Amino acid sequence: MSEDQIVSTARRYIEDNFLYMKPGVRLDLDDSLLRKGVVDSMGVLEVLLFLEDTFDVRVSDNEVTEHNLGSLRSIGRFILSKRVGSAAA
Amino acid sequence: MCGVAGVAHSRPQGVSVHMLARMAAAIKHRGPDGYGFYCDSQVGIAHVRLSVIDHAGSAQPLTNEDGNVVVSCNGEIFNFVELRSELRSLGHRFHSEGDTEVLAHGWEEWGPSLLPRLVGQFAFALYDRRQRMLFLARDRFGVRPLFFAERNGTLFFASEAKGLFATGQVEARPDPFGLDQVFSFWAALPPRTPFADVSQLEPGCCIEWTSGRLRHWRWYELSFGGMDTEPSDAIEQLDRLLSSTVSVRMRSDVPVGGYLSGGLDSSIVCSLAARQAGEALRTFSIAFADASLDESLCQHQVSALIGSRHTTLPIGPDDIADAFPSVIRHVETPLVRTAPAAMYLLARLTRERGITVVLSGEGADELFLGYDLFKEAAVRRFCLRQPQSALRPRLLDRLYPYLQPGRSGEFWRHFFLSAGDPSDPLFSHLPRFSSGQWSRAFFSDDMRDSLSSYDALEELRCSLPAAYASWAPEHQASYLEMATLLAPYLLSSQGDRVSMAWGVEGRFPFLDHRLFEFAARLPPSSKLRGLREKDLLRRWALGVLPSTVGRRTKQPFRAPDAKALVGATSAAVVDHLLCERSVREAGYFRTDAVHALVRRCRGTQPLGSRENQLLVGVLSTQLWHNTFMQGTSFGPELPLERADILLGASFADRSISPFPTSYE
Repeated sequence: MSEDQIVSTARRYIEDNFLYMKPGVRLDLDDSLLRKGVVDSMGVLEVLLFLEDTFDVRVSDNEVTEHNLGSLRSIGRFILSKRVGSAAA
Repeated sequence: MCGVAGVAHSRPQGVSVHMLARMAAAIKHRGPDGYGFYCDSQVGIAHVRLSVIDHAGSAQPLTNEDGNVVVSCNGEIFNFVELRSELRSLGHRFHSEGDTEVLAHGWEEWGPSLLPRLVGQFAFALYDRRQRMLFLARDRFGVRPLFFAERNGTLFFASEAKGLFATGQVEARPDPFGLDQVFSFWAALPPRTPFADVSQLEPGCCIEWTSGRLRHWRWYELSFGGMDTEPSDAIEQLDRLLSSTVSVRMRSDVPVGGYLSGGLDSSIVCSLAARQAGEALRTFSIAFADASLDESLCQHQVSALIGSRHTTLPIGPDDIADAFPSVIRHVETPLVRTAPAAMYLLARLTRERGITVVLSGEGADELFLGYDLFKEAAVRRFCLRQPQSALRPRLLDRLYPYLQPGRSGEFWRHFFLSAGDPSDPLFSHLPRFSSGQWSRAFFSDDMRDSLSSYDALEELRCSLPAAYASWAPEHQASYLEMATLLAPYLLSSQGDRVSMAWGVEGRFPFLDHRLFEFAARLPPSSKLRGLREKDLLRRWALGVLPSTVGRRTKQPFRAPDAKALVGATSAAVVDHLLCERSVREAGYFRTDAVHALVRRCRGTQPLGSRENQLLVGVLSTQLWHNTFMQGTSFGPELPLERADILLGASFADRSISPFPTSYE
């Protein structure tokens, strides 16, 4: 699973579940999901549930940060690192 | 759609035709268009008919060519056209144009192996005179009911338990275990019923009765899993299946209508039906005065879109209270929700408007993981993976914003997260079940003594199929929903029993086994993707329905509950049923607890789901007790001289057999 595939899967989920009410909104890789109003704090948790179930990773509370989950690019990078980490372990 | 009833002795000792006529009278509402009987010295079968296919030629019971196979069916065999063609090519001669006759010839050809060939919703009784064997079978998902009881070597059976009680041989007595299940699961789980020593045939099961020996087996097992990834043509497969399952359910000689709740599932069904209907589809829905329960705006949007002739039935709290006693008489069980009363009133309206067959979306939420309960289980698993997380439980607040008027979110978080461990096979349903079991505090000392160490949840765990442990957690939840709620409650108390009260037949395209098996094989993520329910179905619907419908989230169907029942117009009835004397005489509940509950429900405080459930449960138990435990008559026997058909040796001098026969 590449970072691009992770981003693409996450994008589809976010578009299907959060952006369907805002058809004109385009989501770029580095757009902030929170500041752009795509998801709220609860939405981040919902995305996290999806990511854990889909990519078989486990995320702790202190990893739920803007740096790790704030944009599509950061999600791709973070989830890939978790998968690599768990595979190495 | 019809009603069946009958009796089978272990040896030829004579069957009372008058008893058969009383059994038929008790279930006559299921078949207002005619009735008939088969009777010989050992076996008797009664049939009441709702005429849907082949008005003129399909009076029942009916037989094969030589009269040796006698059959009475409640329900529909949707693929009867194809089966009839196949059987004709094998040399069978058909007398009628109806669907039931394929059972008689199919039995001759294939015996019990006939069952897997049937696409339908049915419960039938078949008597093989050569083998002297009575055979009873019920459809895969439990759309149609069938009850039975053994007394002194004789088997009695009927579409409704009141058909058994009308014999005078089967007495109505309460079963504490069955009642405990009602409060735990919302219904007694087959084979249990709320009546002692009265069983219901389980969905997908059948019975052979030969010379007093009963053999019972399962002919269809719910099974899940098989695909790790979604097939690339999943939407095309779903499209073909939905078209086909709706199409065969449009087969009818009377106009077919639809129940349109405004949600995704009924919108899909009505949309497909409207395309296939010869003229504008008649659709029906309920509107509640309470805006928090009402979906009428969406109903009108969909109706306009599909061009249906739509009728809305406004229902208020008094309507629910007024209908409730009749509903309990029909459903034959205590209830913990009033929604069956709303569906009872809708069926009455449907019948008044001349429609006797309606399609609806039942089953889609179970197949495609549509209920909040499935999301709730996913969130609970998500939380319990990191039990120390302060963030994760907040998702529960998003899931159930309406559950916490005046309560702190902490209460619900604790309730959901302490309900059970993911290793428990019932994990997904433990919050619901434990909420129901809380009702036990209301049971009287006698009830609690009778229950002793009985554990309804443990009984359920022991009944799970062998393959259950190998299924994904989402599929385990789907199975539990089908086994504990769909068949025993939604298809029964909220389905068959309240629609057949008015002779209205429900048909459920999502409960076609071909569609079920397709959905059950899909990976769970095709159905519940993150917290997006019915994912594949929504993707399919986007090409068919407006996005406002296709994306609409599930709204649970709820009718006004406790407040409706204790309101002003029904106050006197409630006072009588729930007074200290009535409660003590019935013996199920603690009088002091009931008194406190009624006072609370009549107060100004908002009621939680527990109070609602308890009040409805207690009141309906008292009604059920008064209706069934006090020697109620179920009407005078049906006059034999007005029967459509009389078959068998008992009627030798008046036999109206479709084929030359030589009865004993």
